[in-house]
Amino acid sequence: MTAEPAGRSAGVHPRGGHVTKPTLASRQAALVAALVAGAPVPQGFDERLVGVAEQALRRKRAGQVAAVWPHLAASLGDSWTDHFSRWARGRPTKGGLRDGWDMARELALLGELPPLGVAELAMREVTVRYDGRTAPRPRRCPALRVVPGGVVLGVFGRAYRLGG
Amino acid sequence: MRTTDVLPPLGLGIGWRPEIAGLVADLPGLRFCEVIAESLRHDGVLPEPLDALRRRGVTVVPHGTRLSLGGAEPLDPDRVRHFASVAAALEAPLVSEHVAFVRAGGLEAGHLLPVPRTREALRVLARNVRTLRAELDAPLALEPIAALFDWPDDELTEADFLTELLDQTGTWLLLDVANCYANARNRGTDPAELLDRLPLERVAYVHVAGGDEHGGIYHDTHTAPTPEPVLALVRELCARHRPPALMLERDGRYPPAAQLHAELDAIASAAGLPRITTGVSNTTLAGTP
Repeated sequence: MTAEPAGRSAGVHPRGGHVTKPTLASRQAALVAALVAGAPVPQGFDERLVGVAEQALRRKRAGQVAAVWPHLAASLGDSWTDHFSRWARGRPTKGGLRDGWDMARELALLGELPPLGVAELAMREVTVRYDGRTAPRPRRCPALRVVPGGVVLGVFGRAYRLGG
Repeated sequence: MRTTDVLPPLGLGIGWRPEIAGLVADLPGLRFCEVIAESLRHDGVLPEPLDALRRRGVTVVPHGTRLSLGGAEPLDPDRVRHFASVAAALEAPLVSEHVAFVRAGGLEAGHLLPVPRTREALRVLARNVRTLRAELDAPLALEPIAALFDWPDDELTEADFLTELLDQTGTWLLLDVANCYANARNRGTDPAELLDRLPLERVAYVHVAGGDEHGGIYHDTHTAPTPEPVLALVRELCARHRPPALMLERDGRYPPAAQLHAELDAIASAAGLPRITTGVSNTTLAGTP
């Protein structure tokens, strides 16, 4: 096969400086980056269709996150899928648990997390420690969070809602 | 049974999912189901309802979704070990995976992505299939996916690519008629033409499912009832060569039992197979053409 036009993922030889034919590995990496991390669509692909796939992946993630964060999803009602999809644009998944957690914390900071979501986030935070960067781990000490109309207490891995 | 088939005639089955375990357990004529390999535990302990099906003689095929057989990076040995241990725990006569890749460059795609239909991709697939089969006792069936886009440098037609892949790797074909329908509809081609060019005698079993349309593109989501054009494709396929087994895939927005039963009956009817929803004894489920 003759040389083909080099894509954006074409490798430039680190020392020689000449353009080499990109490997399948680098082309696959460029495609995944376009689909989940906001990288440009590699040359030659149908930009519209790759965009359709990118959106479909975010919709699929919205369903997966809703399965782990049912109250967060329910708190945003019919707009959940659109809401999550907008949030997830250009953010590779860290798994449903952490994606939902990151999103809930961001909404909470902005004051845009509805009460159901506030309660679910609090129930999680009092039983599991999550630093936002590494995998969440169970808490060893009791923890308390204020939620609308009461508090949530986490002790021995269980969350209790008091008041309200 | 045709001696060349990898499975005995098992009729109509369904994808086992925890959410519909009760409904699946109550299908009196069921002899075949499939389970997502990655949903099973590493220690080989099976979910009780699935193990109960196995004990009553239902054939359970593990279906891998995350091995990334089409990935240019080497297979993850832990994933291969898990897949092999699941197959052993199920005493599966067959296992299946996809003609796809799901991760690259340290990023998970979260879905099955197409490989280019090139010689290079064939070499990658053949290498990965060899690695996987070295750990497996059971034969392997490969499923072509529903792809929303193609690579710009395809060298082979889909039928030629798949035929060459099966020949080179000694694998079977897991044909998903819903994927055939989705691809043909989105590319503006005729799905029945693909059936004419595929080696149907190498079909191990068949997936049937429904999807949704968004913005003029059909997505094979498994969250909607099987549409009539997919049932028509089941009829087309079975008129040419009825596979030993077919099964419904449903992965969310599960309908009430009556609706799922009606869908299973519609597929059985399209395939010319006995219903599995009524109290037929297993021994009458011949399914041989």
